[in-house]
Amino acid sequence: MSILVFLEHHGDELQKGALGVLAKAASLGDADVAAVVLGSGVKPLASEAGRFGAAKVFVADDAALEAPLPQPRVDVLAKLVRDHGFESVFFANSVLAADVAAGLSARLDAGLNWDLTDVVAQDGKLVGKRPALQDSVYVDVGWKGTARLALFRSGSFDATTTQGGEPQVEDVAIELEEFSQAAKMVEQAHEADESGPSIEDADVVVAGGRGLGSPEAFSLAEDLARALGGAVGATRAVVDAGWYPYSQQVGQTGKVVSPKLYVALGISGAIQHKVGMQSSNVIVAINKDPNAPIFEFSDLGVVGDVHTIVPKLTELVKQRRGS
Amino acid sequence: MTKPADYPSPFLPSEFVAPPTDPADERIEVGVLIVGAGPAGLACAIRLGQLLADSPETMERLGDVPVAVVEKGKQPGSHLLSGAVVNPRGLRRLFGDRRRIEEMPFYGPVHGESVYFMTRRAAMPIPAPPTMRNEGNHIASLSRLGRWLAEEAEEGGAMILPETSAEKLLVADGRVRGIRTGDKGRGREGEPLGNYEPGSDLVARVTVLAEGTQGHLTGVALQHFGLQGENPQVWALGVKEVWKVEKPLRSIVHTMGWPLRPSPRYREFGGSFIYPMGDDMLTIGMVVGLDYRDAALSVHDVLQEFKTHPRIRKMLEGGERVQWGAKTIPEGGFYSLPRKLNAPGLLLCGDGAGMVNVPALKGIHYALESGRLAAEAAFGALQRGTTPATPGALDAYDDAVRESYIWKDLYEVRNMRQAFGRGFYLGGALASAMTVTKGRFPPGPFRTEPDAEQEIIATDRAASYPAPDGKLTFDKLSSVFLSGNKTRDDQPNHIRVQTKVPREVAELWTHMCPAQVYEVGAEDGDGTVIVRLAPSNCVQCGAITAKGGRLTPPEGGSGPEYTLT
Repeated sequence: MSILVFLEHHGDELQKGALGVLAKAASLGDADVAAVVLGSGVKPLASEAGRFGAAKVFVADDAALEAPLPQPRVDVLAKLVRDHGFESVFFANSVLAADVAAGLSARLDAGLNWDLTDVVAQDGKLVGKRPALQDSVYVDVGWKGTARLALFRSGSFDATTTQGGEPQVEDVAIELEEFSQAAKMVEQAHEADESGPSIEDADVVVAGGRGLGSPEAFSLAEDLARALGGAVGATRAVVDAGWYPYSQQVGQTGKVVSPKLYVALGISGAIQHKVGMQSSNVIVAINKDPNAPIFEFSDLGVVGDVHTIVPKLTELVKQRRGS
Repeated sequence: MTKPADYPSPFLPSEFVAPPTDPADERIEVGVLIVGAGPAGLACAIRLGQLLADSPETMERLGDVPVAVVEKGKQPGSHLLSGAVVNPRGLRRLFGDRRRIEEMPFYGPVHGESVYFMTRRAAMPIPAPPTMRNEGNHIASLSRLGRWLAEEAEEGGAMILPETSAEKLLVADGRVRGIRTGDKGRGREGEPLGNYEPGSDLVARVTVLAEGTQGHLTGVALQHFGLQGENPQVWALGVKEVWKVEKPLRSIVHTMGWPLRPSPRYREFGGSFIYPMGDDMLTIGMVVGLDYRDAALSVHDVLQEFKTHPRIRKMLEGGERVQWGAKTIPEGGFYSLPRKLNAPGLLLCGDGAGMVNVPALKGIHYALESGRLAAEAAFGALQRGTTPATPGALDAYDDAVRESYIWKDLYEVRNMRQAFGRGFYLGGALASAMTVTKGRFPPGPFRTEPDAEQEIIATDRAASYPAPDGKLTFDKLSSVFLSGNKTRDDQPNHIRVQTKVPREVAELWTHMCPAQVYEVGAEDGDGTVIVRLAPSNCVQCGAITAKGGRLTPPEGGSGPEYTLT
């Protein structure tokens, strides 16, 4: 059941989602879970993976891997799978990981199950769990052969540390296919004002809906998110109205998030929104309409005016955190 | 008095007619191009496959792709919605002994039927009008039947291109050269996004428009070539749900009356249908003519209201709603058919051309038959020594349709829909006279006004709609969810309406739309309001085109993803 986990990094930090997948892989009973880190100047990141259960970490540290392009990564992974006979490769969903997983699937002619939220070992076989029909049911999915590729929904697993010590680090020399070098990165643009964690990575998401009343009132959500160290989300209605950028939209046609805490401010809870956040651990809703559907699936519901409650809540959070 | 037609759509057909623009070597060339993978388009593709199989020489001349079908939905069937009780005649003619009805995905033949006149508490059985008798017909989900037909068409050699919208009609030198597909990956203001992909010119020897109700290019072609019929086209809006149920329903049910109001003042012509789909499912729907006048009328909410009737509630008890959808139906009938069904290089089929028999509640077999006849006409015009591009080369299609049962059936009921503009009771009496005399009495044609020409009235109708309980009755947004619609939000708006209109027009659109696309926004002075749009909710039913706006195709792959409707 040898598993290889693809670890993505942002700057000099390994991505939490990928570490969560690594921790999950380590919990499946494979003592030799391996991880792979690819990039330029990434060698120092390798040892970190040991704490999350990697017995061995492959590092391909090369200037050719600096740009976040999928094909060179597919080359390295394909070679690792062939040389070391990995039976499974796990990915935490991201734009890059999805591209790499799809490319690897084509390259190895291997099966890829995507949007998984869990995986278990049953009678020595891996069985993935995948939500279907707009998340109303979970289906078991398997693989017909190896390598088994699995792409997990973001936030599926906590990045819990294990007893693991220093992993064995092995450098990998890269051999890139000619066609893999055809793409060049011309420009990389970041959304401005990336002050907090990204909405998919955040442990806390504070989301605002029409009930906030005006675009200006989004500062209530922003202040609370800042106090809680979280990110700000928005419903489709307010994104449509131009109150908040599309990149922060949570729901069926936006981002799917599963933070530890989801605070819904003035959100009625249409099913299109629900499917984007229902797997959050704790859902808190504040809405002045007691019949709002969101109260049917929130853990804590507050009937009241967000404009009076939220500033007080933010103040309280700041005090508690400050002390 | 205000009417929607006073606020016409900012839409010009000429915007959607253009010569090919891609360089000649970049155009995609096909033999026969069919727009729309519904019963008409797929029947056309299947018949062409049969004819070309027997004529390798013609096939050879049509190039690498002899037959292509473009479909704007995610897959064939995604945008198909109907009752449906299907008259098998069209399928029998199409397949001959190649396929038997038993091999097709039907939910079985009709076993018994009843018609009720409803009041709020009671349901009175009435004899089924002769036009509505369904013995020998078969129950289907048209979406499912469409998927099967698509497989048959592909097996016969047709290439089906889903997620592809037909945006422009390519016309050069007075003849249709094909279509241009819609761009993909544009942002809200039309700006290209990272995944931008421009459309391409698909050129063909013959282009068959089989777009179904409110076909975008069909509308453009009717105007460009001046093919409109004697009467304007009118439509009805149908909203339906598919339910898993505990008790099987045995026979098919139609109702008239409540919750629709019989007075001619409201012009609420319509009724419901309830059909079994095997032992554990049924479909229930409500159809209302779009010549209605009440700004507060909402077919979706009338259907919700209908389900609260004690008799209907009992059928659904313990069940679960599994799908929802909406679509318009062309109801003008015989005198609204296009004057001509062809233009140089172009053929018009099925619902797009208005081939629906309203008193019989049937159109699928006409769509299939017209598609089959279009294939034969196209094939004939592609023989050596002829070309479909010359005027009159495709007239054989019009001749064949006029000889067919489509023409005969529609002629017999030619004024029946119009009679109901005079209210339920007088309309019923006139319809009976028409049935007995095969349409000769009363003499016509009866006048038809476009749906958007009806003056708007205001009532407190909305007060009687039930509050959604999430079990039996539902709001619009959760219904849109059950249509499978997950359209990308940041794409250009595909709905052309005026956005500063009198309040009653905005309210009419808001109530009418089953998918909650329109919202009455802020006051703009003088009783005018701003109309706010959520175009990604749209399930492309087409009602807005009947009531003053204009639906155009959004990015390919958008809209509902029906599977059971």
